[in-house]
Amino acid sequence: MAERKKMSVSEILAAARAQAGGGEAAAPAVEPAGGGAADAVDSAADTPVVEKPAAKAAPKPTAGGARPSVADIMAMARANKAAADAPAQSPTKSAPKPTAKPAEKPAAAKAAKPVAAKAAVARDTASILAAARAGAKPGPVSKADAPPRPAKPAAVKPAVAADHAAKPAAAKAVPPRPAKPAAKKSDSEEDRRGFLEIALGSFMALGFTALSVTGGLFSLGLARFFFPNVLAEPPSRFKVGFKEGFPAGKVETKFVAQYGVWVVNSDVAGEQQIYALKTVCTHLGCTPNWLEAEQKFKCPCHGSGFYKDGVNFEGPAPRPLERYAIRISDDGQLEVDKSKTFQEELGQWAESESYVTV
Amino acid sequence: MHSNGLFLKDVAGFLGSYYTGLAIMNAVAALILWRKKGQPGWAVTWAVFAGVMMILASLALSGSESLVPSLPLSARTLVNTLSGPMLYTLGTTALFTVLFVFRRFFVQPMAAWTVFNVALVLMGLSMADENFAAIVMKPDNVPIVGLVFLLAFFTWVATKQAVVNDDRIRQGLPPMEKLDDEKVLVWPDLVYTELICMVAVSAFLLVWAIFLPAPLEEPASSVKTPNPSKAPWYFLGLQEMLVYFDPWYAGVVLPSLVVFGLMAMPYLDFNKKGNGYYSIEERKFSYLVYQFGFFELWITLIILGTFLRGPNWNFYGPFEYWTPYKVEVLNNVDLPQMFWVNLLDQPLPRAPQGAGTLTQIGYIFLREAPGLALLGGYLLLLPPLLAVTVFRGYFAKMGFIRYMIMANLMLLMLSLPLKMILRWTLNLKYLVSIPEFSLNF
Ligand code: FES
Repeated sequence: MAERKKMSVSEILAAARAQAGGGEAAAPAVEPAGGGAADAVDSAADTPVVEKPAAKAAPKPTAGGARPSVADIMAMARANKAAADAPAQSPTKSAPKPTAKPAEKPAAAKAAKPVAAKAAVARDTASILAAARAGAKPGPVSKADAPPRPAKPAAVKPAVAADHAAKPAAAKAVPPRPAKPAAKKSDSEEDRRGFLEIALGSFMALGFTALSVTGGLFSLGLARFFFPNVLAEPPSRFKVGFKEGFPAGKVETKFVAQYGVWVVNSDVAGEQQIYALKTVCTHLGCTPNWLEAEQKFKCPCHGSGFYKDGVNFEGPAPRPLERYAIRISDDGQLEVDKSKTFQEELGQWAESESYVTV
Repeated sequence: MHSNGLFLKDVAGFLGSYYTGLAIMNAVAALILWRKKGQPGWAVTWAVFAGVMMILASLALSGSESLVPSLPLSARTLVNTLSGPMLYTLGTTALFTVLFVFRRFFVQPMAAWTVFNVALVLMGLSMADENFAAIVMKPDNVPIVGLVFLLAFFTWVATKQAVVNDDRIRQGLPPMEKLDDEKVLVWPDLVYTELICMVAVSAFLLVWAIFLPAPLEEPASSVKTPNPSKAPWYFLGLQEMLVYFDPWYAGVVLPSLVVFGLMAMPYLDFNKKGNGYYSIEERKFSYLVYQFGFFELWITLIILGTFLRGPNWNFYGPFEYWTPYKVEVLNNVDLPQMFWVNLLDQPLPRAPQGAGTLTQIGYIFLREAPGLALLGGYLLLLPPLLAVTVFRGYFAKMGFIRYMIMANLMLLMLSLPLKMILRWTLNLKYLVSIPEFSLNF
């Protein structure tokens, strides 16, 4: 295995928990990975609306920032749990920030945490929506940074900072995303929605039509199974030829493939009989083979063996092979009737229908 | 078969790469051992072994009858004549016993590696035999060969861990699994590992599917049964069971009992130890019962059914040609026949002609009395008897109901090998045989 220097899971998790606990510490460490901060700052500078950075930054951290990703946790943890000093590691990329951030953050974060945490418990979808409908500045994020917002340009940074600081604490329950529709309210909204409705509506219609058509065809296809594409069963009564075609002691196997029957002329209890044996093993229904050299029927599935008269003598088959009804028809040929079977163990082989005397 | 020359030409390429693979494998092992510096002796051994394998590979590649390494004909014939279901079962049982008793020896990596190499070389030597190769290299059967090695490997890993844990527990240390150094994060570690495995396995299956095509046969027909007719490999144990029992018992009751018994296990188990870690010493009884059921009554039966059962479900030695004309005398008789006719020299009790149903049933009971008595004793008398003797402690800890379920499950499980042995030794077909009602046991 690899070197044991690897941190164990519990260590990683412990380190992560320590981070999450001290909200301030986690935020800066997370930021560089999330990469959202710089974007947010930029976009905030472009747009005059204050909610926007919040709204925009919000979705991102859910992916990478708010709940620190495993990669981040591991990065932090590997940094030897010195995450408390993490601000020092803050990326130099966001050069303007550090000056403002360390100063703002502790205050903002501490203010934000309790509020956000409490709000997080109470804030449900309904209340968020209500807030949004009231056209108010959406609560979750801006509430925390509302007080320290003197002017627009200045407000940006605290907003971002507080936003990030608040997240670790509030993240679980507060997806600030619902603020978005309210923030995006604009003139073109009606049109878009209309388009959506039309598009979605027709897609739905299309989908359901396709579904019902498929379903209908499928059931038709199923119904087709009730009329299988096979040749009709061979008749259950059939003629196998004249008695003379079955010399004594012979097992005729030529009817097996078509009718599943052996016609045997053999000596049964001192009487020469012709009988028709069913080619179904009485064990589990395989088709045994007639082995001429050994004078036995032998089943390939579990090795049952039957004498020429159909009586089982080896393997697991519990009872003798069954006989079909056989008789001499009006034209003198032997006729086998598969609709009737005779079982030895029930004493039915004594019935005169089950054999023809030679 | 004696037209060995042609066959050897065909198989030469395969055998050559087989031995080359063995050589590479051992060379790598030697290199790793050498780097680790712990066991230079073993490193040299495996390096030399790899050299020998290279020589075997070149011999095999020649494809000539006198050069291709193979087992001597006399040895093969000896194996064929000796082998039979009885010896196979006894042999595997003995093998498992040895492996279990000397597990401390076999869990050493070098011992296991030696056994592994010996098995592979024996297989290579055997594969120069046409009949052996025909069975082992059949596309259906290749997975079973893999199964044998995979199972051996995983059992070895688990046993090794169990042995280590047993040692640690004896020293008062917690088992390895409690040390937490084998856990990984689900995301990303585990998920990535799974992804990589998924890709690798898919690639492997693709290659397999291309090189070992499915053995398609002619269209199915209800009156034509292939000879031998084999279930899918994972059911071959079941098929072997069916040889010894009536279908309702081997095909329905026993498999359901297997499932039921597996589900019942956690409720029957009162031993709190061994929870979440491997250990043999702490739960010897459970371990042995389970391994017996799994290996002896399932895996070895699959192997028996796959490799050693040929046409007409006869037993064939590993180097024997599968001729459908093999004559094996397997006449077997039911217990009533043995008891009344052979022992007491009487005809079987038979209801007089035209007797009522009740009289007939009475006669059937009389006829089957010896079998029913045996069965009753086995299933009804043995459990209480065991409760006051062998399983006294278990009975006290488990209580009546749990103990009874356990005892009966175990006895029913043992009924399989017992019946097999009775069939092989006494040619006993059924203890109770009531074909009138399709009831046989
Ligand atoms: S089906 Fe014929 S022996 Fe089992």
